[in-house]
Amino acid sequence: MKPKEIDWDRINEIIEAHKGKKWALIPLLQEIQENEGYIPPEAIEPVAEALNLPPSQVQGVVTFYAGFALEPKGKCVLKVCRGTACHVKGGQSVLKTIKKELDLEDGQTSQDYQFTLETVACLGACFLAPAMMANRDYYGKLSPTKITSVLDQYGKDKGDD
Amino acid sequence: MEEITLKIDGKLIVCPAGTSILNAAEENGIKIPTLCNHHSLKPAGACRICIVEDETSGRIFASCVTPVAPDMVIQTASPAVLKHRTNIVRLMMAEHPESCVVCGKGNRCELRKIAAKLGIGESTLYPMPNYKRLEQANPFIVRDLSKCILCGKCIRADHELVHAGAIDYNLRGFKSRPAAVHDLPLEKSNCTFCGTCISICPTGALSVKSTYTGTPDREAVSICSFCGIGCMLSMGVSGNQVVDVNPAHKQGTVNEATLCVRGHFANDFLNSPDRLTQPLILGKGEEGEDELIPSTWDDAIGLVAEKLIKIRDESGPQSIAFLGSSKCTNEENYLFQKIARVALGTSNIDNGGYIYGRQLLSLIERRNDHEGRYDLFAGSLSNIETADIIFLLDADPDHSAPVASYYLKRAVSKGVPLVIAGTRKTGLAASATSWLKVTLNGDIDRICLELVNGMSRLILENGGHDAPFVDRFTEGFDQYLSAISLVDVNQVSSITGIDSDTLEKTANLLKGKKIAFVVGSTISQLRYGKEIMEALLNLALATGSTNYNRAGFHVISKESNLVGAWHRGTVPDSLPGSYFLNNASSRKQWEMLWQKEISDDEGLDMVGMIEAAEKGDLKALYIMGENPLRSLPQPERVLKAFEKIDFLVVQDILATETTNIADVVLPGAAMSEKNGSVTNMEGRHQSFNSVVRPPGKAKPDFEILGMLAEKMGVFKGETSLDIIRNETMQLVQFFIETGEEGYSVWIKDPETKAELEQEDEGLIGFSPVVSSKDVPDDKEYPLTAILGSQRYHLGSGTRTSRSMRISELNGMGRICISPKDSADLELNDGALVRIVSAHGSVEREVQVDKGQCNGMILIPTAYNNNDARNLVQLTRLFDSETPGWLSCRVKVEKI
Repeated sequence: MKPKEIDWDRINEIIEAHKGKKWALIPLLQEIQENEGYIPPEAIEPVAEALNLPPSQVQGVVTFYAGFALEPKGKCVLKVCRGTACHVKGGQSVLKTIKKELDLEDGQTSQDYQFTLETVACLGACFLAPAMMANRDYYGKLSPTKITSVLDQYGKDKGDD
Repeated sequence: MEEITLKIDGKLIVCPAGTSILNAAEENGIKIPTLCNHHSLKPAGACRICIVEDETSGRIFASCVTPVAPDMVIQTASPAVLKHRTNIVRLMMAEHPESCVVCGKGNRCELRKIAAKLGIGESTLYPMPNYKRLEQANPFIVRDLSKCILCGKCIRADHELVHAGAIDYNLRGFKSRPAAVHDLPLEKSNCTFCGTCISICPTGALSVKSTYTGTPDREAVSICSFCGIGCMLSMGVSGNQVVDVNPAHKQGTVNEATLCVRGHFANDFLNSPDRLTQPLILGKGEEGEDELIPSTWDDAIGLVAEKLIKIRDESGPQSIAFLGSSKCTNEENYLFQKIARVALGTSNIDNGGYIYGRQLLSLIERRNDHEGRYDLFAGSLSNIETADIIFLLDADPDHSAPVASYYLKRAVSKGVPLVIAGTRKTGLAASATSWLKVTLNGDIDRICLELVNGMSRLILENGGHDAPFVDRFTEGFDQYLSAISLVDVNQVSSITGIDSDTLEKTANLLKGKKIAFVVGSTISQLRYGKEIMEALLNLALATGSTNYNRAGFHVISKESNLVGAWHRGTVPDSLPGSYFLNNASSRKQWEMLWQKEISDDEGLDMVGMIEAAEKGDLKALYIMGENPLRSLPQPERVLKAFEKIDFLVVQDILATETTNIADVVLPGAAMSEKNGSVTNMEGRHQSFNSVVRPPGKAKPDFEILGMLAEKMGVFKGETSLDIIRNETMQLVQFFIETGEEGYSVWIKDPETKAELEQEDEGLIGFSPVVSSKDVPDDKEYPLTAILGSQRYHLGSGTRTSRSMRISELNGMGRICISPKDSADLELNDGALVRIVSAHGSVEREVQVDKGQCNGMILIPTAYNNNDARNLVQLTRLFDSETPGWLSCRVKVEKI
């Protein structure tokens, strides 16, 4: 399976809407990220030109923030918490289980672009420890069975059926 | 301004509020170590080496980003400070590769110096080397980012000084490094290889690609000999060879921390095997053939003196011509023209500046106030950064004089509006406030003139002029105004392809402002060069745009001493001090000083000399530091003309096309090999001392001329720089002193505003408004070619093509063509084409360029023995009856 095709018309629309506004770099990038799931590297130059910024500076902003990605991500982005509270509550084995279930390492995306596995320093949901996020939803007090059900919910092995 | 008193290391210090602790300490002789601070850059607080302790609060902070506060008691080296500073350096070293022995930064490495001072040998921390690939595919810069300490100096230099935008931080945390977009190697990015980052890098992360590794024996200051900016260099010397070049990093110099690719990397031509090392005289070789045979100085100078005097006596002084050099020093040019005028009595004197706009300087000077109450020369380039508005016409300083373009880009970033008129989307056009994008409805020469006329009309209508200035200093304004009001803006719009709305909007930007004009020296190569310059001068006078208002003319000069050679009288129409020959009173003064009558007839200019030689009227030609066989159009014609000359003397530093056909060759010295002074495009006068000796038996040019002058009785006894300077200063006011460190810099400052109350006599007139003539389309040659320069070469490339680094650069010299034209002609990037004009043809590869205007191609000069000049015709410049050298009609054929 391939990642979603880049919708250049949409990207150009977004760029056009922010043209000439240097301060709008981050909202602009956020919009592209939102629409495409990532910032296609080929979009850096057009963005830079529209905002009259050097392309290297745009790239600097993209690579600085974890919220932006230069590679396509899976439909479901899992963010496993590695904060202290989650660690104490067994966060390590949550990560281990997911890695095993999905056959992914930290930062990798599955070949079918269904899942991307990431870890974060803290989700700020220590009362739910051990916790993780799938896209924008929080899942707390995780156990192996709960993990499996979350992964199923987000379409694990869907392609095999 | 509020003053603040504080104590640093026990010393009571008073300084203005807002000063950083680091600067306050440094100004009072207290040195705080730092890795990321530089006087040309904004402080960043990146390295934390400059931490200091405030005893009052007990806090430790970075002194470069902390402003002074009242009653601070600062310790710069307390035990706590030293402990933290040591730990920071240890951490840096834990990440740093242990390759000091082979590192090109050698003893100049700031990290190593600081570590040594703090007594850190081994960091004793667990080493965490951060290996990156070594990048050295380009011929200029080696990037070894494993040695990067993330001080950000290279990035800040790029963003704040050079505005290239080639690099920025990439990624975050441990992985973070300066990178070009997509982490591409520099040669694939928009890096201009100015090398500013290299000389500012405190470690070996960025270094010059060089055959020499390590620390030079010594460093000495010189002035860059390439373009007319006159950057101050620090040259690293090993033995008697210049092995490394950096900007001198001195405050108050024109370039401070910056340079361009030529200044930084192309000076390796100094060590070229083509350097001339001994005098040569044409004689018979072993097989009886004509051949240049090594000789002694006595014989060579003796022969030159004898022959020149003989020709003068036999054929008269006007059968001799002297072609001086806009690349030689002020003293040399003065002596050169003095020999011609006094010893030989000829006024056939010119210099290579003929090609690069010396005519523009005379034109400006003619409209200047004789008493200096206003100055149309804009003076210091730093005035650009605080100008009201900038109007740039027919110049691409990004390539011709990069350091000037840094000033322009900095001005734009500070909010100074920039109006650019031109055909190409240059690097500057992208950042301009208004880019008057010319489309090609007529020829480029015509467009420039009509554009200036149209803009003048729009700016001056409804009282856009500076009435007090016009009344005080000029005459004939009303006639000028009524003439300019007749310019038809709609017609201008149709000729230039710029809609009248845009013209009007841009004129409104300029209206009521003092305009800083930035003009390319190649205006003089346009058909209407003179008329365009006159029109601009009219506009400047009408708007009162002079030096006093940080406005006036910045003429981008491509030659290191274009202004100096002109000012020292190596020109057919004026005497030293730019006194015009037809000015009888100043001519008298020089006659008195020289004890010699001077004719008020203008002599032959550079093209006039060639034409006279063709007719057989020119018997002897003395060329100093010029290579007309490479720089002039129609080289075969020039060659034939030179062959008719009985006696050709060429004084140069390199074996060139011209030295090959000379009767006597005199080996001179490059700028870094002699003492002297030059005047840059701002009028900045810089004296300097030699860094190395000239190679072999070669001599500094003023010594050669001195020997000749002595032989011909112009001076009694040996000539020295001091003698020449003292004589010049009797009639030309200048500050000439060799400073303590062997150099000095002087630039005239506008001291007071022009005093408008005084009575005046000599009023300055306006020149007539001239419009252009239509040139019918030529079906056979459908495209217009512009001969432009690229930053890697200077002028005709005599010197830069001798640079190993420049010649290693691949894929250069391509012609730029617009996407539409390339599609019409079915040409892809890299396709080989033949460009044919009515006068010649050249073969080049193609580069499709989005910024190029349709119907027009750009052919870079200086490549392939500067063959681009074959396309144009050798005609007099500054004459609207001749087509000029800058552009011509061509057709492009696929090969």
